[in-house]
Amino acid sequence: MPKVAVYWTGGCGGCDVSFLELGPKLLDVLSQVEVVFWPALVDTKRQDLEALPGKAIDLALINGTLRTQENVEMVEVLRSKSRYVVAFGACAHLGGVPGLANLKSREELLVEVFGGGFRPTPPPGGPSEHALPELLPQTLPLAGAIPVDYVVPGCPPPPALIADLFERALAGDLPPAGHVFGKDKAVCEECPRKKEDRKLDKIVRPHELQPDGERCLLDQGMICMGPVTRGGCEAACPKAAMPCTGCLGPTPKAGDPVLAMISALASLVRAGEEGEAAFSAEDKVLDSLADPLGTLAKYSLPSFPRLARSCVPTPVRRGP
Amino acid sequence: MAAPNPGPKGPRVGVFVCYCGKNIAGTVDVKKVAEAAAGLPGVVYATTHEYMCSDPGQELVKRAIREQRLTGVVVAACSPSMHEVTFRRAAQEAGLNPYLLEIANVREQCSWVHEGPAATDKAVRIVRAMVEKVKGNHPLTPVEIGHSRTCLVIGGGIAGIQAALDVADAGFDVILVERSPTIGGRMAQLSETFPTLDCSQCILTPKMVDASRHPKIRILAYSEVEEVTGFLGNYRVRIRRKPAYVIADKCNLCGECAKVCPVRVPNEFDQGLSERAAIYIPFPQAVPSSYTLDAKNCLGLVPLTCGECAKVCEAKAIDYDMQEEIVEEEVGAIIVATGYDLYPKEAMAEYGHGTVPDVIDGLEFERLLSASGPTKGQVRRPSDGKVPREVVFIQCSGSRDPELHKPYCSKICCMYTAKHALLYRHNVHDGKAYVFYIDIRAGGKDYEEFVNRAMEDDRILYLRGKVAKVFREEDKVMVWGVDTLTGKRIEIRADLVVLAQAMVPAEGTWDLARKLRIACGSEGFLKEAHPKLRPLEALSAGIFMAGAAQGPKDIPEAVAQASGAAAKAVGILSADKLVHSPEVAEVDEDLCSGCKLCAPQCPYGAITVDEVAHVNEILCESCGTCVAACPSGAMSLRNCQDEQVVRMVQAALAEG
Repeated sequence: MPKVAVYWTGGCGGCDVSFLELGPKLLDVLSQVEVVFWPALVDTKRQDLEALPGKAIDLALINGTLRTQENVEMVEVLRSKSRYVVAFGACAHLGGVPGLANLKSREELLVEVFGGGFRPTPPPGGPSEHALPELLPQTLPLAGAIPVDYVVPGCPPPPALIADLFERALAGDLPPAGHVFGKDKAVCEECPRKKEDRKLDKIVRPHELQPDGERCLLDQGMICMGPVTRGGCEAACPKAAMPCTGCLGPTPKAGDPVLAMISALASLVRAGEEGEAAFSAEDKVLDSLADPLGTLAKYSLPSFPRLARSCVPTPVRRGP
Repeated sequence: MAAPNPGPKGPRVGVFVCYCGKNIAGTVDVKKVAEAAAGLPGVVYATTHEYMCSDPGQELVKRAIREQRLTGVVVAACSPSMHEVTFRRAAQEAGLNPYLLEIANVREQCSWVHEGPAATDKAVRIVRAMVEKVKGNHPLTPVEIGHSRTCLVIGGGIAGIQAALDVADAGFDVILVERSPTIGGRMAQLSETFPTLDCSQCILTPKMVDASRHPKIRILAYSEVEEVTGFLGNYRVRIRRKPAYVIADKCNLCGECAKVCPVRVPNEFDQGLSERAAIYIPFPQAVPSSYTLDAKNCLGLVPLTCGECAKVCEAKAIDYDMQEEIVEEEVGAIIVATGYDLYPKEAMAEYGHGTVPDVIDGLEFERLLSASGPTKGQVRRPSDGKVPREVVFIQCSGSRDPELHKPYCSKICCMYTAKHALLYRHNVHDGKAYVFYIDIRAGGKDYEEFVNRAMEDDRILYLRGKVAKVFREEDKVMVWGVDTLTGKRIEIRADLVVLAQAMVPAEGTWDLARKLRIACGSEGFLKEAHPKLRPLEALSAGIFMAGAAQGPKDIPEAVAQASGAAAKAVGILSADKLVHSPEVAEVDEDLCSGCKLCAPQCPYGAITVDEVAHVNEILCESCGTCVAACPSGAMSLRNCQDEQVVRMVQAALAEG
């Protein structure tokens, strides 16, 4: 019976819960695997993991971003004990929402959260096993610390993609390493909204508009990341009148989703005829994008740090 | 698609650096560029030549391709718009796919615009970047398309008529569209033509008849081009035929209708010097030979309001219910010959703003001289019909005046003013003519002799100088000027003043250019693709220009240009197949989500989207706008992939 491990580093826990979305299928899966390590589900400790022989685990699913030294140590142990490691969810895949913390240095972050008196120094009496684990200078996606075999993207991963992983793993039919479960085409392909009036003359945030039910959200001024984002979610958010935030990550050739989207928005923006007045009106539309990085780089900042580099003092370790 | 270069054994690139005499070598150390190129990874051969585009230079490239088994070539020379075709053809002759050859532009973008050692450094960087590009290029095959064998000629003046006749005589169908009710254009309005003084209509009307009788020419008069879509060889045009309310085949030109018509409006053909009815024929030899009812001035197209013309028309040719008609045609080539207008004399504050009745422009004088004109060829001035005893001709009126009017020379005014003066003298034996001129520009066959004839006439006085003011005094026109040769002020109490107004593009030229997606220069004349080497072509392939729409010119020049444009058009129409560069945008259908962001970005309308985007390879002009817009990276330009560009930038910016 295949041995499975599930682990959660710096994340919100949503990925662990997402397994429940499989519904009755989850029972099938659980009946066919042996869970050897899953802190959220069974009482296992680091020592238990370390006691396993090398490659004893067939499939390790790791969710969450890497924020502390302890995160890194744990995933290194998991890597050494596992045949296949899966980056599960947007945090492990790209860095995720916690990755936006990379806009600040570790020191600035601590001051911002805990106030000016906080010093990230070891407690009096020196480091002990009860000491807090050290924060990394920057959050990292999983691939920033260990080689990753597969990615199940999403925040959280859509059940269909989780099911696909288990089905193929149980059937012994895993794709070549590096595969991302999800589509190569963008969300737009799955989105039923009509794309007709391809121009952007204003930008609105979701709370400012009750969007038309039929028309593309981007055409209505919402910044929908659908065009740069991998499909596989059945366009769940746009169907529910919320713009795509890009959680499945960029399509294989999009590159940095921020740059791809900026390029697309700059192409789309139209404010009047050509000429200086139109150009400045177009600039105004683009400038009205509130929180550009939080909108365009919501999940991807640690994986595509170029834009943020000017804000960040420490160079970021790139994934393999 | 075939395997890219680097092939299985790695790339073998040859670099050929041209001296271009001193054009490149004067600033760039050509030998050093070749030496630097020789050391680049993948480069197996680098050399120089005095003139790479010469036969020995091309031979050098070809021999190296064969002997060195090159998989890619970089020619460091002038702009690819000059010799890319030359060298790609040479590469093909040597057995290398032509799209594996690239030009590194070290002349226009380097030697001509820089000096000092930095120029050589930049040339090396340009070559390095192009070597990187070539290494990523794929062999490609040109795209082939079928095309329509019909030519559209827009404008039925002498240039349009000549072009239509030449294309039709070559065996291709022609649609000749004319805005006014008849073809003939400005030339039909002229009295005689310089320098031979033959009657303009006498030499024009045979051509008009030829055009109307030619089985290959379909004349759509009183029609305008509404919309043009498509591309070289496959243009789709929508032509709006305004209703003439007279059935041309039935009209027998009896003229009874015009006699009973109660309306009188200024006659455009006589430049407003006579009147016409609302139903009219511009001149007796008009083609098509039929009356036209001008709906704007007609009392009403319902017989209840007037209906006089229909009552007297025995031929039953008048049809008040005639509707506008839209003609849609596919054409392979388009010739634009929309001609000129005169710069309005109302714009000439110094010459009375067009308010002095006996100050007229050159075309009005042509009508006064014309046997078919309002005075039957008698020179009589408009205000009181008297024969003018003293006439002042003012050249460069509105031309060569960058401060107030047009900066350019209108080219024909020196000649037609000499003609006017001679014809006036022929008409009025005791009359006296004064010609104010800045310079005499008589550069044409027999032109100088013609002007001399006018100058030698003892009752034609040429005065070198400008006229400062023209105004009315009693029934005379006062002309104040200066003779710059004697320095004397001159005052003439003239009976008539004729202004040689500047030529300007015909009204609507700009709108038409927009419909055709071709360019106009700053003065509104159509812009040619190259002022010297492609003077008849617009930048959009398959569109040509002839006559004064492209710039001021006289009849022989307009006719020559028309025949030239016709030859260019026939070149397209007669081709077995048209080819288009394969270096165009391409969709990766496995990646395209059909988001449609690209389609509205395309300035050429080349993209359509269903499930995925599709690029019309013929329409695509490789601008790359869609590639930038494509969010998912599904769109790319052939042989200009992102990875290639990145490597080119890295190579250009690398140290050393």
